Amino acid sequence: MTAKSKITISRRTLLAGAAGALIASRAWAQQPAEVKVGLLVPISGLYARPGTVMREGAEMAVDHINAQGGIKALAGAKLKLVVLDSGDTTEKAKNAAQRMVAQETDLVAASGAYLSSFTLAVTEVTERANLPVLTLSYSDLITDRGFKYVFQTAATAGSQARQALPQIIKLAETASGKRPKTVAILTDNTGASIASAKAMREGLLAENQLQLIVDETFTPPLADATSLVQKIRSAKPDLLFFLPTVISDAKLLLEKMNEFGLGQGKIPTISFGIAIAEPDMLQTVSPELLQGVLTCVASWGAKGHEALIAELKTRYKEPWMTQNAISTYGDMWVIKDALEKAGKADRVAVGEALRTMDAGPSKYYPLGEIKFDEKGRRVGAGMTIVQWQAGVPVTVFPPQLALAQPFWPKN
Amino acid sequence: MLPMRSLLPPLLFTLAYAGISLGVTNSYYQLILTLVPVWAVFGLSWNLLSGYTGLISFGHAAFFGIGAYATALGQIYFNISPWLLIPIAAMLGGIAGLLIGFPTFRLQGHYFALAMLAYPLAILYVFEWLGFQEVTLPIKRDAPIAYMQFADPHIYTLLGLALMLATIVLTQVIERSRFGMALLAIKQNEAAAEAAGINTLAWKLRAITLSGAIAAAIGGFYAQVLLVVTPASVFGMLVSAQALTVAMFGGVGTVWGPVIGSVILIPLAEILHAEAGARIPGIQGVIFGLAIVCVILLAPEGLFWKLRDLWRKRTASKTDVSDRPEAAATNVTTLKPASQQRTATGEVVLEVRSLSRSFGGLKAVQDVSFQLHKNEILGIIGPNGAGKTTLFNLLNGFLKPSQGEVLIDGRNMSGQRPHVICEAGIGRTFQVMRPFLRMSILDNVVVGAYVRARTEDQARQFAADAVARVGLSAVAHRVAGELSTKELRLMELARAVAGQPRILLLDETLAGLGHGEADEVVAVIQQLARDGMTIAIIEHTMQAMVRLVDRFLVLDHGAVITEGLPEVVTRDNRVIEAYLGKKWAGHAAN
Repeated sequence: MTAKSKITISRRTLLAGAAGALIASRAWAQQPAEVKVGLLVPISGLYARPGTVMREGAEMAVDHINAQGGIKALAGAKLKLVVLDSGDTTEKAKNAAQRMVAQETDLVAASGAYLSSFTLAVTEVTERANLPVLTLSYSDLITDRGFKYVFQTAATAGSQARQALPQIIKLAETASGKRPKTVAILTDNTGASIASAKAMREGLLAENQLQLIVDETFTPPLADATSLVQKIRSAKPDLLFFLPTVISDAKLLLEKMNEFGLGQGKIPTISFGIAIAEPDMLQTVSPELLQGVLTCVASWGAKGHEALIAELKTRYKEPWMTQNAISTYGDMWVIKDALEKAGKADRVAVGEALRTMDAGPSKYYPLGEIKFDEKGRRVGAGMTIVQWQAGVPVTVFPPQLALAQPFWPKN
Repeated sequence: MLPMRSLLPPLLFTLAYAGISLGVTNSYYQLILTLVPVWAVFGLSWNLLSGYTGLISFGHAAFFGIGAYATALGQIYFNISPWLLIPIAAMLGGIAGLLIGFPTFRLQGHYFALAMLAYPLAILYVFEWLGFQEVTLPIKRDAPIAYMQFADPHIYTLLGLALMLATIVLTQVIERSRFGMALLAIKQNEAAAEAAGINTLAWKLRAITLSGAIAAAIGGFYAQVLLVVTPASVFGMLVSAQALTVAMFGGVGTVWGPVIGSVILIPLAEILHAEAGARIPGIQGVIFGLAIVCVILLAPEGLFWKLRDLWRKRTASKTDVSDRPEAAATNVTTLKPASQQRTATGEVVLEVRSLSRSFGGLKAVQDVSFQLHKNEILGIIGPNGAGKTTLFNLLNGFLKPSQGEVLIDGRNMSGQRPHVICEAGIGRTFQVMRPFLRMSILDNVVVGAYVRARTEDQARQFAADAVARVGLSAVAHRVAGELSTKELRLMELARAVAGQPRILLLDETLAGLGHGEADEVVAVIQQLARDGMTIAIIEHTMQAMVRLVDRFLVLDHGAVITEGLPEVVTRDNRVIEAYLGKKWAGHAAN
């Protein structure tokens, strides 16, 4: 790849040894003082909040790795995090990716870019620059393009719904003694929600002997949830799948449900995605209203992460560890493992290491292994079910990661 | 055709830009260099509609997005090459322009802007509903060039530049043609343009079609650069705003405006994002916004016009001394005493039969009938609110009569659109002058000539003749903004004359003129009449009128009071009463 080896004049002196041919950078990479890892996430604009949490997770991981002696295969070289702002539009994300590959020529790998549309654009650039990227975005498209340098650590959207449904039915059955039969879907029309709802409509519900009796799609932000809630009240489904992306929509619907006497578990509510379990929810919705609400997410702070959750709390004042923090934390460790395996600070070698690595069971992502299939999807990637309990969303599934027992709301 | 002189600057600019681009090896800077022409072309497409016609579009993302999606989906579902898809996108954009324009041009001003805003937002949801939240262009490893996928990013910049050069040249050709003149005339005063024989709806539809086509083509190219298309990234509010921002920052209504805006703003936003944003996330938006606010405050019409005005002022003060005395000697034929050299024939060229128009309960014009004979000057007088201007508006088609007929050469033309009536040979001027201040007198007058002229040269010829007939030849190349009221009145007269009308309707042409000045204008009108023109004139100042007209038609409360020779009418009690009240009518009788 020629694009990355070309550099600006101002950096020429700095990178004299690395510039130009690949051989030169290999020679230079024998004894690096530090190894640079990129983090390309939104830290300004609409999505700044999740991006900031991702940065916190990455910073913690880099500190931990360095404190434990850095990259041993590279004589204890330290990791250095390079943070780039992907902004709040696809164009800005792509520009930032281009800046990353053009100006941070010695990055060995990166993590990003939160929204799957950003990740799609960013990886178009990084793929051409042979820069490995780990992502928690779970759109199936990301790893359907035949790319070699993108690695999806989370279960894809379609797969998440497939995994979650049987678990939720089992949970309902054991807790209430009766198997749910009818469901309602309330979804907004954003990419991730549509993907999950589509998978349910097209087969998943039927496979699980569930009958869809209310199916409503809305455009965020909602101005009023009354008509939606009325439809649910008259249909009385056994389960409600509610897929918001915007926190205000989550609040509006939960409050309206409560007002109509359907809240707090009268109709068990299951969400997909992180919106309903963000710390910001508590600023607008009372914990009582949230009690018992379930959501299916790609990953979450879980059993075995207690120390990390505590550290995140003291260091960054985050009340709990969302998927954004824990996944990005895990990404840094995977990159470290790949560096150990590659034995050199070179992006192509790290990419090769990621493709071939088999680092055993995953510690930071739910279930599965640290191993990627030919598409770049993590083998056996599971998902997490989180439940609001006493004002905190805690992991209740899978059992081996659960921090608390799930309860089924009783009416 | 475009003279070499105006082709040279865009060509040089493009070559220089290409040279810089080839010298840049950093792929990030190269991407920014690619995005500059992309947004410049998008700004130019916006400018073609909104800059020239003054109808602000907040919804150009509609066309941009249609182009982007057409290019992306065509590759995914039909495996068509973008080399083919971008022209197809342009066609679709043009069709969209036509479909959007046809209903929306019924609206004007803010209503038009708001309606335009709705289109991309509505289409955005349609594409979300269709399930195109995220569309990625497939990688074609076997035939990258056939699918416009280059390993060398320079080629994207060069392609963007080629599109930009083509758009600049196209815009310049339009700017100098009847097309551009028509759009400018619409911007200044749509009603006046219509009265000057311009079919405003047809020209506006052509403008939005072309504008939509350009926007869609560049949208398609943008998809090719971004490789990922999402509804928000091509139909979003920010996209529409981008077109407005670059054009308004750089200069509205000029080919260079969007280019200047884009060359400055796109790299600035990126530099701020990369440099300031790395220190304080989000600060880039604040600085960028403030910079735009400052520039708009200092240069409300955009940088281009501000700089041009400054430059003009400089050069003007240098050449002023040599220029002035010649300019002052405006040669107008001296006023001769009212001559009766004309022979008003008996032939009726315009006949009005019991014409009425009411606005709700107000009868603005009621049952007015009169005849206009070939080669006469008819003065239409009456106190304020007598319905004089309404009568003119009925005659030239601005208003449809509630009742009655207007016959031009025996043909009933009542209810026709103004530009049709203009084609039938009726020209008019307006009480309120609406000159194009930045254009020369000659260019101002050309607008009026197109109704008769077949070619550009003929239009110039007609305009030059008209300017000569009103005695402004000596100052024909001065900018209208520098003219006195009298010269502006004469210029308006010339604009009407340039359309080679047989009948002229003059609405308060002498208003706001001093005594001597009014005489000069009267002399010009008399000369026009001597040359065979038939004239109807509305006026308040009786003095000048008595010497000018052959016959008076007096209106009050929308109805004809009397009609006749000047000396008879001015002594008529009913006329004096209408102007001055009953008390004075009694005085006059004594």
